[in-house]
Amino acid sequence: MSNEKRSKGGFDYQLFFVTLLLMILGIVMIYSTSTYRAGEDPYSFVKRQLLAEGLGLIALFAIYLIPYSWLKIMGRAPLRYFVLGGSLILLMLLLVPALSHTAYGATRWLNLGFFNLQPAEVVKIAVIFFVAGYISEYPDRINHIKGYAFCLAVVVVCGGMVYAISTNLSSALIIMGIGVIMLFLSCNDWKLHLLAAGAGAGVVYLLINWILNSSMDVNNVDYHFKRIMVWHDPSAYVLDGGYQTLQALYAIGSGGITGKGIGKSVQKLSAIPEVHNDMIFSVVCEELGLVGAVVVLLLFVLLLARCMMITLKARDNFGKLLVAGVMMHIAIQVVLNIAVVTNTLPNTGVSLPFISYGGSSATFLLAELGLVMKVAKE
Amino acid sequence: MAENGSNKQTRAKKKRKRPDAQAVLNLNIAGKIVVVSAIILLLFGFLVVRIARIMKDNGEQYKKQVLSQQEYDSVTIPFRRGSITDRNGVILAHSERVYNLIVDSYVLSDDEDSIEPTVQALSQCFGLPAADIRGYIADNASSRYHIFKKEITYDERTAYEEYVENYNNEVAEYNKGSEIKRPKINKNGIWFEDQFKRSYPNGTLACDVIGFTTKDGRGQYGLEEYYDSTLNGSNGREYGYLLDENALERTVVPAVNGYTLVSTVDSYIQRVCEEKIKEYNEEHADEYRQGEMGSDNTGVIVMDVHSGEVLAMASYPYFDLNDPSNLDILPEELKDYLMSKEGYKEEKDDKEDTDGDSEEEDEDEDKDKEEDRKEKEEAIKQKVSQNIWKNFCISQSYEPGSVGKTFTVAMGLDSGTVHDNDVYNCGGYLTFGEGDNATTIRCHNRYGDGPLTTKEAVEKSCNVALMLMGQKIGKERFLEYQKNFNFGLRTNIDLAGEMRTSSLVFNKDTMGITELMTSTFGQGFNVTMIQAAAAYCSLVNGGYYYKPHMVKQILDDDGAVVKNIEPELLRQVVSEKVSDQMIDYGIGVVEEGTGKKARPAGYKIGGKTGTAERSGQGKRDYTVSFMGFAPADDPQIVVYVVIDRPNTASQGENATRYACVLCREIMTEVLPYMHIFMTEELSEEEKAELEERGQLQQIPEAEEGEETENSGEKEDGEEAEEEKEKEVINLNIDPDSGYVIDPFNGEYLDPKTGEPIDSDSGIFQNADGDNIEITVLKDDEAEGKED
Repeated sequence: MSNEKRSKGGFDYQLFFVTLLLMILGIVMIYSTSTYRAGEDPYSFVKRQLLAEGLGLIALFAIYLIPYSWLKIMGRAPLRYFVLGGSLILLMLLLVPALSHTAYGATRWLNLGFFNLQPAEVVKIAVIFFVAGYISEYPDRINHIKGYAFCLAVVVVCGGMVYAISTNLSSALIIMGIGVIMLFLSCNDWKLHLLAAGAGAGVVYLLINWILNSSMDVNNVDYHFKRIMVWHDPSAYVLDGGYQTLQALYAIGSGGITGKGIGKSVQKLSAIPEVHNDMIFSVVCEELGLVGAVVVLLLFVLLLARCMMITLKARDNFGKLLVAGVMMHIAIQVVLNIAVVTNTLPNTGVSLPFISYGGSSATFLLAELGLVMKVAKE
Repeated sequence: MAENGSNKQTRAKKKRKRPDAQAVLNLNIAGKIVVVSAIILLLFGFLVVRIARIMKDNGEQYKKQVLSQQEYDSVTIPFRRGSITDRNGVILAHSERVYNLIVDSYVLSDDEDSIEPTVQALSQCFGLPAADIRGYIADNASSRYHIFKKEITYDERTAYEEYVENYNNEVAEYNKGSEIKRPKINKNGIWFEDQFKRSYPNGTLACDVIGFTTKDGRGQYGLEEYYDSTLNGSNGREYGYLLDENALERTVVPAVNGYTLVSTVDSYIQRVCEEKIKEYNEEHADEYRQGEMGSDNTGVIVMDVHSGEVLAMASYPYFDLNDPSNLDILPEELKDYLMSKEGYKEEKDDKEDTDGDSEEEDEDEDKDKEEDRKEKEEAIKQKVSQNIWKNFCISQSYEPGSVGKTFTVAMGLDSGTVHDNDVYNCGGYLTFGEGDNATTIRCHNRYGDGPLTTKEAVEKSCNVALMLMGQKIGKERFLEYQKNFNFGLRTNIDLAGEMRTSSLVFNKDTMGITELMTSTFGQGFNVTMIQAAAAYCSLVNGGYYYKPHMVKQILDDDGAVVKNIEPELLRQVVSEKVSDQMIDYGIGVVEEGTGKKARPAGYKIGGKTGTAERSGQGKRDYTVSFMGFAPADDPQIVVYVVIDRPNTASQGENATRYACVLCREIMTEVLPYMHIFMTEELSEEEKAELEERGQLQQIPEAEEGEETENSGEKEDGEEAEEEKEKEVINLNIDPDSGYVIDPFNGEYLDPKTGEPIDSDSGIFQNADGDNIEITVLKDDEAEGKED
């Protein structure tokens, strides 16, 4: 944190090891939660996760090794459009049934043979790239309504497409969240922010109005709204999706201060659906207790604080915005995930970065961390 | 946080150093990112508080909730019933794991929509009628346990689970994209319970001996019933209970599996016996009486004379242990005959005739009749099955007939009242008693056998000679010996259902002179096959009566020996000298007397034939039998064949040969299997016969020269015979040492005992003359003894 580092930083060990620690904890928890349902090979989930994380680490070091100028070029005028456009084409490939893979009732994965890719993760990176590139190229435009609106429009359209094509509301929200916060960071005109906030509030108001006007019958309403109703009172809608939330709550509640001990969760055995995935934090709470939960959150705080430091120390705007975007990505997912598990927010299906089981997410988060470390090095 | 503090400092420095446009942007990012970070930190803090509150406020309640979702019901873990193997470890009966399908209506009814797909899944995977399940769930909504199907295999269960998994995934996909939701299969309402199913890999093999097991695991008949408690273990249990502070404790008391029985049965010998019995019965079907098989019943017992171990015990008809009530495995003819014997008449033909005339109104009546008929048929089938399940060899008594004469002679010789060199004169009949009580009993040879030595009396099976001996022996002594031979007492063989015969033999009060006379030649009193076989073993093994038994070892689940069942010597019934004489007489019967047909090619055996008139029934029916032992010089096994009511062209005395032939057939296959070597010359016919059976193949034609050398050292008188004999056995002899080579492993065997000889031990290894002479001397000694 001294001034010497300003010229050129080295490999960011702190960031790397905090991530590694989170990943190790994640593997342990995935093993603990998945063995019971893994069938023949108790390590099958762990193996797949390790493969994804291995790929992610390769991506991380690859990005770390390529010249920084290349990254910057990718953020410049024609290329950033290609990057964003490419990611959206990838997203649209989901519409081709032969290429897509469907699971849990949603078509969110591209079948790459050995690996299922979630294009929404690619769109997330692309949006971060695009916004960072655009703003750093035209730092003054962003303070005018045209530039601001353009950026906002790109973010909203990307988020909308993710929602429309892969019916993935959470990813859409995360993309919009990242974009909006990046705009908030870079634009100095408060009037524009207020305007955007006003427009946003208006849209949300209209949406809620529309939902409330539709029938209250649980079976007929949109399932996202159903989740809102479930959130309001999970025990009243046990059969309509409240079950998962309620079981997660039971798991957290039964953990106590120090937890039941690693591997000793009762709830993971069958009660919580998708326990190794979105709901993994509930078992962290059950097995490791409040202490474990706080430790996990502290690790994330460390990670994010490190990201913030890099943002502050970065040499150029592009790097700052890039790191800020990644930081927001991680922060939003952590907050959303834990909020869902604790029933603070309706169930949206967000995974916990570095801990939840999920190949695409792990790989791309590590790639994003590669960007952060690259910026940190410069 | 500390880092936030230092951020501010850094920010301040930045601000001062770069006052350009870029710097302005930097400044603002820095300021806002700290704000955003602070907000994130706040959110984190809020979430931690939230978690802590959930734990604090609802912790106890949720803990209980979690526990309440667990199953506390104790679950029974079934034990595995022990296996039954033959003496070589071949599995005759064992238990395999299967599952019961349990339907929990209470859980299913909780979610009405899911019932239908669940019912469909069950009916598709297990072939259950969907309407039945649907109806049951509707009528018994609160039922938590109902077995819908038993004995589901592991594969069937896996198939069902896969089906459910696929279906539910499909539905989940469909539901996410659709407004109208389809219900999933309710997995929690269906579960499986472990069970074991008894299975008999060899089907009908040794069915009478093994017995079977009912579906609820109780042994019926045979070893299964006799050793029921040994074969059974005890169920284990798994149960959960709550400790203080809501900790769940699950405890498992493992099941104790049952013990395995190693029976004395040799499945090869058993199979041979069963096949030969079947062949005989099918060959002589319809021969004398139409619509009947070769006999009412045919029983065979093969016993090891030195231990009382039963090597094979078979009877006819047979049944499938895996499906004991199924009569369809029997030949159609036999089934019909057995059914008709129980009073069943086939009315089908009549029916068809009358059906043409009957009006429609009669149809209901016809249906009733049809049902009635079916019911009757079932009842009769059951009766027939029950008869088949009985083990003829232990649960049916009969008069032993002439086989009983052997015992009478043995009594006489052992008690000193009859001597080897006695001469009895048979005039064709004998009259005894005085005055009005005078009774005349004929010999089967009406013209009389003339003067007979004791040996000849046995060989010719002369009734008069036997009665004369009976008069010498006397009633008291006769009864005492009978008791010693275990007649009238159960042998207590370890099989369920052995018959009591105490009322079927005479005692001091019931035995008059006539009874004594008939008893001497095996009529008037009843025995079971096992009694006769066990007693006969004692006559040819030196006089030692061993308790017959079927199980030689009891093993636990891991294969460790729990108990060895040693041969149980009960008493010495006759002296060794008498035993030797009885062997000699037995050989005479086969060589010179009534049992010639029983000798298998190449072997010297002994035995006694038996023909008994069946009492009652009006008609003249016979039970014919042959009791044989082999090899003659040193009896190892006794083969006892009983044919009840032979359905053969020749009846009475002449039918006895069928018992002999059956015994010969069995011995021809069993003796080589038991490593008992041929000792007798083979006639051309016999050679041809053996060749046909494929039993001469292993005898090579070479090495003639060496053999003659060997036989040249034999005594002159025996030379001719010996030479022929060598043709058979010397071909198997090692030219160096004069020892027999085991055809299976090339080991040297002692030609007398059949025991392997350690060829490395020295003396007999070399090819010099002394050694051969020693061998020959040994042969002579042994033969001299037997003479």
